[in-house]
Amino acid sequence: MALEKHDNKNLGGGRPVAEKGEHIVARHLIEDDNIKEEKNLVIDGVDVSGRWNTFIISRVNSDFDRSFFEEIKKTVVGSRINRCWQCGMCTASCTVTPLYRRFNPRAFIYMMQLGNLKELKKYIDVAWRCVGCYKCSQRCPKQVNPAEMMEALALVIKKYFQEEVKTKLKLDEEVKKIYEDMIIGHGRLDLAKLHTSAMQKSGKTKELFGKIERGAILKMLKDGRAFSVLRLGKPHNWSSSKEAIENYLHKLNTIENSEAGV
Amino acid sequence: MSENILVIGGGPAGLNAAIMLSELGVNVALVERDSFLGGNPKKFKYKFLFPDMQPADNVIGELIKKAESGGNIKVYYSSEVSDFKENGKKFDAVIKSASGSETKTFDSVIVATGFEHFDPARDAKYSYQLFDDVIDIKDLERMMGENNFVRPSNGKPPKKVAFILCVGSRDRHVGNQYCSRVCCTVSVKQAIEMREHFPDCEAYIFYMDIRTYGFFEDLYWKAMEEHDVQIVKGRIAEITSGPDNTVVCKGEDTLLRGPFEIPFDMVVLASGMEGGPQSPEISSKLGIELDEHGFLKPENVTLSPFKSNKPGVFLAGACTGPKAISDSITEGAAAAMNAYTYAVKNR
Ligand SMILES: Cc1cc2nc3c(=O)[nH]c(=O)nc-3n(C[C@H](O)[C@H](O)[C@H](O)COP(=O)(O)OP(=O)(O)OC[C@H]3O[C@@H](n4cnc5c(N)ncnc54)[C@H](O)[C@@H]3O)c2cc1C
Ligand code: SF4
Ligand code: SF4
Ligand code: SF4
Repeated sequence: MALEKHDNKNLGGGRPVAEKGEHIVARHLIEDDNIKEEKNLVIDGVDVSGRWNTFIISRVNSDFDRSFFEEIKKTVVGSRINRCWQCGMCTASCTVTPLYRRFNPRAFIYMMQLGNLKELKKYIDVAWRCVGCYKCSQRCPKQVNPAEMMEALALVIKKYFQEEVKTKLKLDEEVKKIYEDMIIGHGRLDLAKLHTSAMQKSGKTKELFGKIERGAILKMLKDGRAFSVLRLGKPHNWSSSKEAIENYLHKLNTIENSEAGV
Repeated sequence: MSENILVIGGGPAGLNAAIMLSELGVNVALVERDSFLGGNPKKFKYKFLFPDMQPADNVIGELIKKAESGGNIKVYYSSEVSDFKENGKKFDAVIKSASGSETKTFDSVIVATGFEHFDPARDAKYSYQLFDDVIDIKDLERMMGENNFVRPSNGKPPKKVAFILCVGSRDRHVGNQYCSRVCCTVSVKQAIEMREHFPDCEAYIFYMDIRTYGFFEDLYWKAMEEHDVQIVKGRIAEITSGPDNTVVCKGEDTLLRGPFEIPFDMVVLASGMEGGPQSPEISSKLGIELDEHGFLKPENVTLSPFKSNKPGVFLAGACTGPKAISDSITEGAAAAMNAYTYAVKNR
């Protein structure tokens, strides 16, 4: 069977190419990832582009992948994954869940237990939002230490979803970089600058010069906060502190990478 | 003249009742329908007992030894009470065995006829008897008791095993609404044994609730925390055959929502306990009440769980409902005390 995939539009009077899955009647019921459709495909010389090769992947979970559980169990932060019995006390205690309902430590732990990466993938955008308050760990009846389990989760996401992290968490990674540069470069956090850079990065330049922002900037100029960073300068003996922090970050990276097996 | 007391059923409950009475100097007739004593634990060769994993022989073997080493107990094997009549405050019973029939008068009676394992073949969705690799907890007890833990289909050790809880219990569809009480604990115990002997074999437990009540909870924690047994919430709606000689459990993961169809090498059904055919039989023969669950009915479930509604006839063990061996043994002793008191009062 000769299979030809074309990246470019079918030339030579091919069928018009529709949106992915467009012809499926109840399209809204099917998740994007579950539709497999080659825009341009020719099999044995027959053009089966678009709807002629549509394939809907079943939503039925068809296996448990325990190797994943074993992997997490070996990490320091994830070593207690076998304890969790899904009572939900962690999610009920969580600081973040009321703000992001999709952030559910209990469910994430379950997905990790069963190796359900397909499900985890849906939550890449929120899965790392734990603020480390440890309320969950303080209350968990099985002493799973869900707070640290969220760190295990972050490692997992880093390892298995590198592409998605690059695209879906692009902004977060960029803001993190600004934050780190600020700390390491100046020894101080300039919240105003962090805020404006984040807005810029997320393309909210218009809002940056909106009424509210202008008011805030004016106020900070007036009361002198805007200049405080300049006036204060770097903390005392910053270069040695800086070295220590950089050292630490480097070590952390090595540990994280080795735990995630990157 | 010493009292004569009839004990029907030679499981843990009946054995302990007979032993206690014998120690009090009572003449005991112990009628057992099987050719051996020890009840279900003996019949299905339970090897290690929950909650402390002690060898079953420490308990069942001990009881049998005591009962058989004479004293005042006369054991009737492969026998039954074929006729039963009240005689004033006493009872006339005909004991039928291979060696003929014997009529005797007894001062009081203890019924300890126990339970039957639910037959999973009755619930077609589990495909028991259809697929060799679908077995139940009593089969697994026996396999482990015989040191023969392999896949029945090909004689090889399994790599991935599922336990399915509440088979034949808590299900209107099969007619049993009650919880069988021991199957959760038996399942986690078996999962532990399995993981101990075969660390390569993954164990999953499909559950709706895990009812390892009281201190049995320790085993549940141990199964998860020391042996990585994974619990998955959802009852299994169907077992089908899968690729590579697997059996597929079809269910819903009620925590994540959404269906699953997971292939396993072997599935163990946690079949529950039933009153069996013996409960209605004994009920009509002795004229004692049956309850709505198919077990014998105590006069008062809380105040006198060991008394039947008929004065002079006492109940012990799993014939009044699902329970563990320790409870059965305790009830055997309680029934013995009551049967003795009744006998002495009506001497
Ligand atoms: C798979 C499984 C595993 C278990 N494992 C454990 C465990 O590890 N630890 C624990 O504590 N409990 C366990 N149990 C519970 C335990 O089996 C029961 O508590 C116990 O067997 C009840 O004792 P019994 O004497 O009341 O009844 P049975 O054991 O059922 O004994 C009843 C006896 O009466 C006889 N009989 C019945 N009808 C008649 C009749 N008409 N005439 C004469 N004789 C009759 C039977 O042949 C039998 O010998 C388990 C149960 C199951 C289902
Ligand atoms: S981590 Fe702890 S609190 Fe959260 S669901 Fe598991 S056992 Fe419950
Ligand atoms: S430590 Fe993280 S997961 Fe736990 S309660 Fe706080 S925010 Fe939620
Ligand atoms: S003991 Fe467990 S498995 Fe058995 S009926 Fe009750 S809940 Fe179901």
